[in-house]
Parts: sequence; structure tokens; C-alpha cells
Amino acid sequence: MSVLHIADVTKTFSGGTNAVDSFSLDVADGELVCLLGPSGSGKSTLLRMVGGFEQPNSGRITIDGEEVTHLPPERRPTGMVFQSHALWTHMNVFKNLAFGLKLRRMPAAQIREKVEAVLELVGLAGYGDRMTTQLSGGQQQRVALARSLVLEPKILLLDEPFASLDQHLRERLREEVRDIQQRLKITTLFVTHGQDEALSMADRIVVMANGKTEQIDRPDVVYRDPKTPFVAGFIGTMNLIEGEVSNGIFVRSALTVPLPIADGPATLAIRPEALDLSASDIPKASVHRVTDYGSHGLVDLDLADGTRVKSMVAHPDMLRAGQGVDLLPRAFAAYRNNQQIYRS
Amino acid sequence: MSEVAKAAARPLMENAQSRRPLGLLLVAIPVFLMIWLVVWPAINAISRTIWRPDVDGNVGFDLSSYAFFFSDRYSLDNLAITLWTTLVCAILLLVICLPIALYLRFSRSRLSGYVQALAILPMFVPSIILAFAFIRVLGPNGMVDILFNAVGLPKIRTPYLTPWGPVIGLVWDNIPLTVLILLSGLGSVANQSIEAARDVGANALRVFRHIILPRISNSILVALSFSVLGIFSSFTLPYLLGPASPEMLGPFMQRTLREVQDPIGAMTQAVIAFGFCIVFGLFYVRSVARNQGK
Amino acid sequence: MTTLVPVRSRIDWLGIVFAALLSLAIVGPLVVVGTWAFTEVWRYPNIIPQQFGFRFWGQTLGRADVWNALVLSLQLSTVVTLLSAVICLPAAYAFARMSFPGRNILFFSFLAGHAFPKFGLLVAIAAIFLQLNLIGTFWGVVLIQLVGTLMFMIWIPVAAFQAVDRRMEEAARDVGASPFRVFWSITLPQAGPTIAAAVLLSFVGTFYETEGAWLIGAPGIRTMPVLMISYINNQMVIQYGAVLSVLLWVPSFIALMFARRVIGGGAFARGFGG
Repeated sequence: MSVLHIADVTKTFSGGTNAVDSFSLDVADGELVCLLGPSGSGKSTLLRMVGGFEQPNSGRITIDGEEVTHLPPERRPTGMVFQSHALWTHMNVFKNLAFGLKLRRMPAAQIREKVEAVLELVGLAGYGDRMTTQLSGGQQQRVALARSLVLEPKILLLDEPFASLDQHLRERLREEVRDIQQRLKITTLFVTHGQDEALSMADRIVVMANGKTEQIDRPDVVYRDPKTPFVAGFIGTMNLIEGEVSNGIFVRSALTVPLPIADGPATLAIRPEALDLSASDIPKASVHRVTDYGSHGLVDLDLADGTRVKSMVAHPDMLRAGQGVDLLPRAFAAYRNNQQIYRS
Repeated sequence: MSEVAKAAARPLMENAQSRRPLGLLLVAIPVFLMIWLVVWPAINAISRTIWRPDVDGNVGFDLSSYAFFFSDRYSLDNLAITLWTTLVCAILLLVICLPIALYLRFSRSRLSGYVQALAILPMFVPSIILAFAFIRVLGPNGMVDILFNAVGLPKIRTPYLTPWGPVIGLVWDNIPLTVLILLSGLGSVANQSIEAARDVGANALRVFRHIILPRISNSILVALSFSVLGIFSSFTLPYLLGPASPEMLGPFMQRTLREVQDPIGAMTQAVIAFGFCIVFGLFYVRSVARNQGK
Repeated sequence: MTTLVPVRSRIDWLGIVFAALLSLAIVGPLVVVGTWAFTEVWRYPNIIPQQFGFRFWGQTLGRADVWNALVLSLQLSTVVTLLSAVICLPAAYAFARMSFPGRNILFFSFLAGHAFPKFGLLVAIAAIFLQLNLIGTFWGVVLIQLVGTLMFMIWIPVAAFQAVDRRMEEAARDVGASPFRVFWSITLPQAGPTIAAAVLLSFVGTFYETEGAWLIGAPGIRTMPVLMISYINNQMVIQYGAVLSVLLWVPSFIALMFARRVIGGGAFARGFGG
């Protein structure tokens, strides 16, 4: 059952550009959906509209069947965790968590009980008396999460919550947040520009670019079957090769690939791991550089016209720079006019 | 991140229609006060000194009060002593404060905290107390005389009630802000740029001349403008420490207004003071506005 | 950090010279005044007073003109500070957080007061007050001292409100606080210390304001600094002035302690255009 329903929402900023352009999305109960895109893609604006910090110019947002499009943030059943955690530095941890409960006129004993339970949940039991400025970055972000969770929001909104943390901490918090989210079965909308975060946490990913949806799918599908060249290039490493199709053959420089589509320009998308190399008398590309990662190797290759492609190989020690090789795509997709028109 | 920053820069809720009148309403009283007590008096002073009623009561263009000021020996002497005091103070301030600021910027010693505290201290000494202290130290039979006497030196020629009295007092009074403004300007000189200059073989003097000075020239001008604006029309210190004749414009204006009871004459003197300071005033305002705009 | 002197000797000679000179020139005179305040007899040319004591404290504090001036000064400072806080703080909030037509122009127009030599402006104001019969009245002095606090009490609080993280306010809205509650529970406490510093500095500044009070207030309104002027000009007993100086310096000392953190940051100097 869908808890959050976003229908045809458009947001135009004073500059005239559409930050979010007729965007629609349904989020099911207990689902974690990631909004993934580069900065400027409108993902944060969208999240802020769900939270009530921005008003859409058109469209509707409903939560649990109730329209909230024009409600102020304090009257929405959403809880937001901000990128900069936005903790109130003049209050200690307990007061940060208790503030929202006090506004709801909850009795003091019950507040204490709830706050302690939530602090326990985020692994900060006993930290209530600390000032927020005495905490580490990871702890501060946990408090911010707890501050939202303690109010039991219908929808949890996370706005790049780990962006200011270092890589190691980010990975740990990512798992913790996912665990808590699954335990509480709380519907969550998560904004990030990091594909690792999206791929490892989300039930579904919404890839956004220029205020528009590029693709909405499960993480593995988004990776395996990107529906637009933007998604193909944005998620993981992808060789995107522009070329011409004639008589069922895609041609770029010396590279030819059978492609049963109508004649015309096309973009060929091949993952490095799906591009095999073989020695050949009539080489299609020359090896530019070989990087050995131990478990595998990554080979940079140049087509005759200078186009750079990458291939992942199991035995990089067999290759040398300058060597000529044949290119054998195992799996690939083709795009034309921003749409996928073929997939092998 | 730019979209977030953009979003954060706008008001929380965009029901701008309801807020517009409220914002204007909230700033209305201070704006009104500022216009009534700053802008209007300035305009009033100018207009009333150039459009004056003649003997028949007809209001007309009339520069006679200015003509009087610039032909009156006493007025001109007062203007001259004011200009001299301002100039001497500005030079002394620069000579004293620049080395202090440079020391504070580049010193790592623990003493620099003490030096900074001392340099800022005068900001917290009201000029009236300063005037009293000045008389007790440099006045006749003051502390300096006592100490000189103790070691067998003759009495000093006291600067009290001479043009040097206000100079010493005003310099003392203006040290803190001059140092702070210069220090803030020196903050923009990156350590790397100095290290780079030293690396290519520049000595301390050359580093100062070619690396530091160009960077802080604006701060120096701001500091000078600020002190000129304050010193040119200063009142308390020249009134208490300076000679009765010639007197600086501050005491002169006060006397013309309250004792001679000649408001037109006092306003003429005020407008002349505005005129001499306009360049510094505009430069100072521009610098502050630009700083705030950042 | 680098230094201008490549190899620094262990002893900071330059610092010692500065410290010594500044101690002599800045602390020295204040020590002399302080000594006079606790002196009963000090005849030239003795280096130290012949007799210390508190006799003149009793005499100074027993004078009716001192008490009247003190009460009047405190009244004036309180009224001016409260008035400027009531007038300026909402305006500062509006400048910092609301958008309305002419916002920037109005904001920077408060600089106008700084474009004029101050006493010249006071004389121009006094000429207007002369027509309004405000000369020599309490409210005339209040108004002229308000001019001095106006810009101060707008600019510093504006900076304080602007420094409050927008997202802290949004987070408070998010957990259910109304806009007014956000202002009361988040914005104000966050901006509080800086605003308190501004209020305190404006109180102390008004307390010591001499020129406007002398120009507008005389002869009816005798504030502490105005009284001090007449002591310097006409009073034969040196100790009265000295005791008064020490007394007068107390509020300034409190301000000094309080303002240390504000002035430590470059923000303060930048407010003056540095």
C-alpha cells in the first residue's frame, strides 16, 4: 500500500528553471527509496517539498491518503535528518530529542522513557546529558536521526545525512540506518549523490537528472539494465560509445558490433566487465595502460580515432601498453534519443 | 550542494505576500529615526545655511555665513588647527599601530596576547577618564614632572592646553580600532604568500613592501578614514586638553551653538566639516558596505 | 605560521619592547588615576603619596551632584538601551530573515550616520532640537544618544540572526514548532550571546556618551561624564575626579570582560570596515 504519493509535482525557482519537473512517485509502506542524482538534479528540492520546506508550483503530495501539499512542516507527519545534522547547540542531547515531544504536550515521565528508548536504538544510551558540541560527527548524526525517530514520523526524510562524514564512518552508519529502518519498518526517502549508498541501502532507486526522473527500479535492475544513457553513465563504470548503425552493424572507428536496429546514430553501452579482449592480427584497439588491482585488472584502450574504452580483465599480466587487441562485447545495450532501443 | 545552498538562502516558507508588509513595518521605526536624526539634520544644515532670509524676510540663495567663515581670521585659525591635528594624529596612528599590528599578526610568542590586550584596552577607557589621567600624568606637577624631578631633570613643558594635548589624547583613544582594522586586513595575507616570497630570497623589508603592503593598503585607508572622521570633529579631548584659542572645530561648533547662540554659524561650521570629511566618509561607508556584502 | 624574522631568538625582544612601551603609555596613566583615588595627601614632588586612605570616597559619594548624575546616567542608559532594543531587534530580525522591497538599500542606509564627522552631525541635530525646544531636556538627550546606538544595535544583531543555521530552524519546524516557537526556542537562544553583547555595549556606550549629552543636555541634564567635565574644569580637589574616574570605569570593566570574545573574532573589526 502506498504511504507517500507524489503526483506530477513541479517546482520552479525564481531563475525560471524547473528544479523539479512534473515528478511522480509512489512509496510503499516500510520501503526505503533513494533519490539519486548529481547536485542540481532536484533531489534535495523534492525532499524539501515532501518535508514542507518548499512549496511546489503545481502537483500534489499526499501522505497516508491525506493531502499535505500546502501544509507547513510542523503539521506534516514527516521527520527530516539534515545533511549538517542541524542539532540545536544550545540544548543537550536529551533536550534536542525531547523538544518535539514537549510541543506535543507529552508528560515528562513518558518523554524521558521514549527519549531513552530511542537513544538506546541509535546506540547512544546514556548520552542524554552531553552537549551536542561534545559529540563526534557520527554521534551527532545519530542524535539527529534519533531526534526524528522519537516522534515516530510516518515518513523519514534523510537529506544526504552522511555527506560530512569520512568514508569509514559513512559505511558503518549506512548499515546502522538500514538496520534501524528495517526494524522499525519506517517508510524512508533518502537523498544522496553517492551511488554506493543508494545501491547498498535502497529498496528502490529513483535516478534523477535536471529535475526529471530518469529511472525508478530496484538497485540491481538500475545497475544491470539502465534505461537511459544518463543512468548508464551515472551508475557504475560504463563505456558509452557514440556511433552509426547501418545494415544492422554498429560502427565506431574500427569497432563493429552487430546491432539489429534501424539505421541511424546510436550510443552503445558496454560495462568494462562485459568487454572481453583477445589477441588479433587485425587489432581494433591498442592498449594504453594496464592497471593491476590484484583481483582483476583494468585496461584503458584507444580506438583508432582516439576514443577511450575500458575493459576489466582477469589476467592483466598478459597485456602490455601499445599492444593491439580485438574487442569482444559480451553484453551491451544501445540508446537512441535518450531511450534504450536494444539490449542483448 | 549548490541547490541546497540556494534553497537555504530563501525564506523558510514562501508566503511572501503576507510577510512583505510585516518586514517593512518592523524596520519602519529605526528607518524613520535614522532619516529624522541623520539624513534630515544634514540636509537641513546645508539648506538653512545657503537659503537664508534677507532683511525683508525673503528667503534666497545666500552664502554670506560661509563667506564670513572663510574671511574670519579666528575661524580660519580654528580650521587650520583642526586640519593640523587631524593630519598629525593620522600620521602618528599609522606609525604606532602598523608595527603593533604586524607584530601581533606574525608573532607566536605568548607576549602577543598581552600586547593585544593592552592595544585594545583604550577602547574601554572613556575619553573623559583619559582626559583626567592625561592631566594627572602630563599636566603641571603631574606624574612625569614628579619622576623627572626625582632623577634631577627639569620640568617638562606640559602639552596640557597646547595643540599637542588633543593630539596625544586622540592618538591614545584611536589606537584600538586602528590596530583591530589593520590586524583584520593583515589576516588576509596568507602565510604561504610570505613563505613563497622568502623562498625566492626576499628579505623582511621587501616582503613587507611588496607582499604585505599591497594587501593591506585598503585596510590602512579604512583605518585612516575612520580616525579622520572621528578626530576632525572630536569634541571632548580638544575641549578639555586643548588650547582655548585657537580651538578645534568641535569645541568651536559647540561654543558657537550654545554660548554664542548662533545656530546658523554652528551649522555652517558643521557643513564645512562635512565638506572636508566627505571623501573619507564616502570611502569608509563604501568599504563597510562592501565588507558586509561579502 | 611563519615569521618575518627567519631565525627567531628565544627571547621575544620586539614583544618585550612593545609590551613595555604600551604598559607605560596605556596602563601607566590609569594606575596614576587609581592611585590618586586612594590618596589622602600627595604633595609635589613626592613620588608616592604621603597618606593613603578612603576619606575622599566618602566625601565624593556623599555629594548630592554625584548621586544625581549617577541616577540620571543610569536612567538615561537604561531608557536608551531599552528603546533601541525594542526598536532595533525586530528590525534586525526583519533585515536578517525577511524579504521586502528596498531591504538592501534600507539596511545600508544605516551607514549614513558613519559618513559624517560625528560632532558635526550632532551640531546639525542640535540645531533642529533648538527649534523643537528639546535642548536641555531628558528626551532630547535620549534621542541624540539613540542615534549612536541605532546602527550598532541593528548591524550586530543582524549578523547574529544571520549566523543562526537555517537548518536548525527548519529542524524545529519539522518536529512541530510554529514559526513563533522556532524564533523563541531556537533563533533567539542561538543569537542570544551576541545580542546580549550588543545590548551591553550599547548600555555602556550610552553611559559614557559625553558629546551629545553635553551639547544637548547642558545645563539641565548632568550625566556622569558631564559632571566629570565640570570636575576637570573647575574642581580644585583632585581626588573627587579620581574617585569618580574609578567609579565610572566599573561598567566599562564589565563590558571589557564580556566583550572579549566578541572582539577576539575578526567580525568586530570587520563591522568597522577593516
